[in-house]
Amino acid sequence: MSAYVLMRILESAPSRYDRGIRILTLGKLDEAYGRLVSWVNNGQQVLDLGSGTGALALKAAQRGARVKGIDINPQMLAIAQKRAREASLEHNVGFCEMGVAELDGEKPESYDAVMSGLCFSELTEDELTYSLRQIKRILKPRGLLLVVDEVMPESIALTVLYWLIRLPLVVIAYFITQTTSHAVKDLPQKVKAAGLLVEKLRLNRMGNFLELVAVKPDQRIG
Amino acid sequence: MSLLNYIVINIIGMLLRFLPIPSKTGLIRLGNPDRNSPVLLTCNYLLTVARVKRSLAGVNAFLLVANSKGINVWCAATGGLLTGHEVVSALKTTGIEQLVDHRDVILPQLAATGVETKMVKARSGWKISWGPVYARDIPAFLRSGCWKTPAMRQVEFPWEQRLEMAVVWAFPVSVIPAIIMAPFWIEAVPLLVSLVWALSLLIFMSFPIYSRWLSPKDKRVGLVFFDFGRGGMQLIFWGVAMIGLVTYSLIAGDYGWASIIRWAFISFVLVLIVSLDLTGSTPMYKSGLHEDRWLKISLDEAKCKGVGFCEQVCPKNCYEMAPDGHKVTLPRRDQCVQCGACIVQCPFDALYFKGTKGDIVSPEIIRKFRLNLMGKRLVRVKDLDSS
Repeated sequence: MSAYVLMRILESAPSRYDRGIRILTLGKLDEAYGRLVSWVNNGQQVLDLGSGTGALALKAAQRGARVKGIDINPQMLAIAQKRAREASLEHNVGFCEMGVAELDGEKPESYDAVMSGLCFSELTEDELTYSLRQIKRILKPRGLLLVVDEVMPESIALTVLYWLIRLPLVVIAYFITQTTSHAVKDLPQKVKAAGLLVEKLRLNRMGNFLELVAVKPDQRIG
Repeated sequence: MSLLNYIVINIIGMLLRFLPIPSKTGLIRLGNPDRNSPVLLTCNYLLTVARVKRSLAGVNAFLLVANSKGINVWCAATGGLLTGHEVVSALKTTGIEQLVDHRDVILPQLAATGVETKMVKARSGWKISWGPVYARDIPAFLRSGCWKTPAMRQVEFPWEQRLEMAVVWAFPVSVIPAIIMAPFWIEAVPLLVSLVWALSLLIFMSFPIYSRWLSPKDKRVGLVFFDFGRGGMQLIFWGVAMIGLVTYSLIAGDYGWASIIRWAFISFVLVLIVSLDLTGSTPMYKSGLHEDRWLKISLDEAKCKGVGFCEQVCPKNCYEMAPDGHKVTLPRRDQCVQCGACIVQCPFDALYFKGTKGDIVSPEIIRKFRLNLMGKRLVRVKDLDSS
């Protein structure tokens, strides 16, 4: 039966995942993660969705936040845990095998920030709608949703350019690392529809890489 | 879905079978389902969804399409892309919980290698029943009150599937070299293409004749090609191809010995390519590339309570309940394809794999660490390159 799956997707090679993502995003992911965690402060409770090999969660933990990283891939989680130990951050960060559909088990208003690095684009439409609703529920008032993800450019010219650049990258990344990524559609609109206020939006020049900061409105006031 | 649409999807699916082709995930209403209608779940491989929908014509049910990244049920479940998480996600995010009064979901039996019933129940409250292997048996399964005959549990390799696999191999193996060769040696392209298709059809259609001599458990790993049947099969196919070639050159009249030798070499290479991982191209055997093929399914009788989940999920009907009904037995252990479904599903951890050196692969490892394409179970984090 192996013959059907010649094109295996990233989870088969978690150890090569980071390298693959670096190729696909032309190295700009690290900077983006750096900018994103600058919104996280010492002592805050932070949830990292689709934590993968732990890159974003560990950056937030380094800033003193208490981070819970969730992912559905045990192999990725094992690597993330190993990294946390190596960085002596295991008291600040914990990893848990859990999908976004299981967020209903989290307590309401329990997080200061929810982060998602290249996770939303892996979700189905239903999952994305569901997780945004759950994120709003588990965030404290004035809590932040911090997102870095790939999006589809909005203009046709940029879309053509995007595919010209992206196609060879996809092939190279796939051959070297069996890693691939997707693009999420209309993310800012979906975030707004879930009742969160978009505070900051940063698109790169190509218009295919989005950094988004949204805040949960404090409904207790007024 | 129109018949034309169905045929087009089948042809595309067949030609591009090596690639994942995702279809839309989410909830599909079949017929006019009500609050007591059955809920079925499948993967989001385009061909699978089309076939399930067609098999269920006239049935009122809800169909959940879970995100398996466009890969078929068996491969996705075994490779860790269709696990309890994807099932919980489909159950909770598609809105099905608001549409039915019960909490029973029917999954394809072959998903049992990846989906843990216990975990799904704990995290969603839904109870999984294992449906038949093939979608065509679902209506009969539903009519009988979700009872599976042994035939519904067994994977087969009938002529339709063999024809499909022949096309699956012949298409890329003929098209890619044809495109490369066209600028240099255009006149050879028709012969090459016909040779590939003829060999591929020969190899797969004659499978029942030689399958009893195939042995993926053979440990003489040299060249991967000669791993099964010790190369004998490949030589027979090559011989047939040679007879065909000589006959062709006699009839055509303009082919000399030089071209026969050249084509003899080409056809030999083609036989090797098309029969690459021959056992893995069938549902009857473990892939010859997978290390797991040497593992032996073992039963810890002291732990067995006779619940029989193993019997329900085994695609080769290896199990049978003992007459007293308190234990299972393994009368057809030699049929095992090491899919691991029984190990994943046993609630008492009574089943495990034993390696050639007597080493034990525990249920925990089987559940947690899935196989990658080359059949490797990635386990030891310390060995991984963590750059």
